[in-house]
Amino acid sequence: MEYTVKVDAFEGPLDLLLHLIQGLEIDIYDIPMAEISEQYTLYIKAMSVLELNTASEYLVMAATLMSIKSRMLLPKQEEQWEEDQQFEEDPREELVEKLIEYRKYKKAATELKDKEQERSMHFTKPPEDLSSYAQPDVSDEKMQIELADLIGAFNKLMRRKKIKKPMSTRITRQEISIETRMTEILETIRADARPKPFSALFPVAEKPHMVVSFLAVLELVKRQEIHINQDHNFSEIMVGSTEGVSLVGQS
Amino acid sequence: MASHNYKAITEALLFTAGDAGLSNDQIANALNISQLEAEQLMSEMQENYQMDESKGIEIAIYAEKYQFVTKKDLSDYIKLLADSPSPSTLTQAGLETLAIIAYKQPVTRVQIEEVRGVKTDGPVHTLIARGLIKEVGRNEGAGRAILYGTTEEFLDYLGLKDLSELPPLPEDVEEDEKEDSDLFFESLKNGLSANE
Repeated sequence: MEYTVKVDAFEGPLDLLLHLIQGLEIDIYDIPMAEISEQYTLYIKAMSVLELNTASEYLVMAATLMSIKSRMLLPKQEEQWEEDQQFEEDPREELVEKLIEYRKYKKAATELKDKEQERSMHFTKPPEDLSSYAQPDVSDEKMQIELADLIGAFNKLMRRKKIKKPMSTRITRQEISIETRMTEILETIRADARPKPFSALFPVAEKPHMVVSFLAVLELVKRQEIHINQDHNFSEIMVGSTEGVSLVGQS
Repeated sequence: MASHNYKAITEALLFTAGDAGLSNDQIANALNISQLEAEQLMSEMQENYQMDESKGIEIAIYAEKYQFVTKKDLSDYIKLLADSPSPSTLTQAGLETLAIIAYKQPVTRVQIEEVRGVKTDGPVHTLIARGLIKEVGRNEGAGRAILYGTTEEFLDYLGLKDLSELPPLPEDVEEDEKEDSDLFFESLKNGLSANE
């Protein structure tokens, strides 16, 4: 890997030019091109010695400066304007305009930085979760649950259990099989006749365990060994046994 | 007193809403009072919290929403709670790009690059990822370049009520601050010119 020095000194060729103009105490409206070109080239050399990322923009600017410098060495073109005013076409004009425009926004950026700083000293908190108070859907029909709902519930659960990605990844063997979890889940659900909340099927707050549990639930639903209900919007998803309750699945 | 009651309710509402904040509209609705009454109530409450030195929180209006925030001069105490006290602020490139977008919006990336004189993909991407800017449309004509503008999140991030609270774009400015990169480059430059 290349050794790179991270110096946020300059945000581009315009920034560098402004820096030079300010350092040399030059009048921005009357830039001595020879001097600024020389200084600019020196900085670029310094940057390449340091292996700073001398982007192509810097080189384009160097070329621009040289071109302006050479044009200024040419005899001055004088243009005759109406009202007999004499205007000298200044090759630096475009560059100066750019510099002034850039300087304006650079200054604005520092003002935004102050605002940012000030705002960061005020602390707030995230809103309370009021979903349990939300008005249930007016229709009293049993809600259909789709795979997306289950995945949503699973995601919420993961978030609630605050499972963090491990800093380093290691390969672990699968400690429990889906079959094992299916049996366990069936046991949990059949322990008594009452349906259990979806979240109760995820007792272990570890990602692999939760994923296997989720797959086991899906498989059990597919085999119609359990049924899943949600009474209304935002209410807890309940999982019950189909044993003795439904007509299907009795073998 | 009814108005006393309103304040208690509003306090509870603001606490609950947290950084999602509440609009004047929402407060008026919740209390079943007029917009104007809500406004008056809120400015009174704002003043109460502001003036009362025994209170650690105050009511701010960011992105036209009221929210409870901790008082600025208490931030040092709050930072003591954290392990890494400095929040992740924007880089200079990010700030410059954000400034150009804020003042010139809607604006294309090419227009931003024209002002800054450098490629700006990185900062634009970061600003989008942080939710401070978003695509607000497409430029008419060939290419249909993406136009960028600031978001409500941007207002909250800088503590602004609305865009009119942006500090006026500086007209021409004389640079006065000396940059600290000077000494570093100065010695290098001298070394280089001595070699020539």
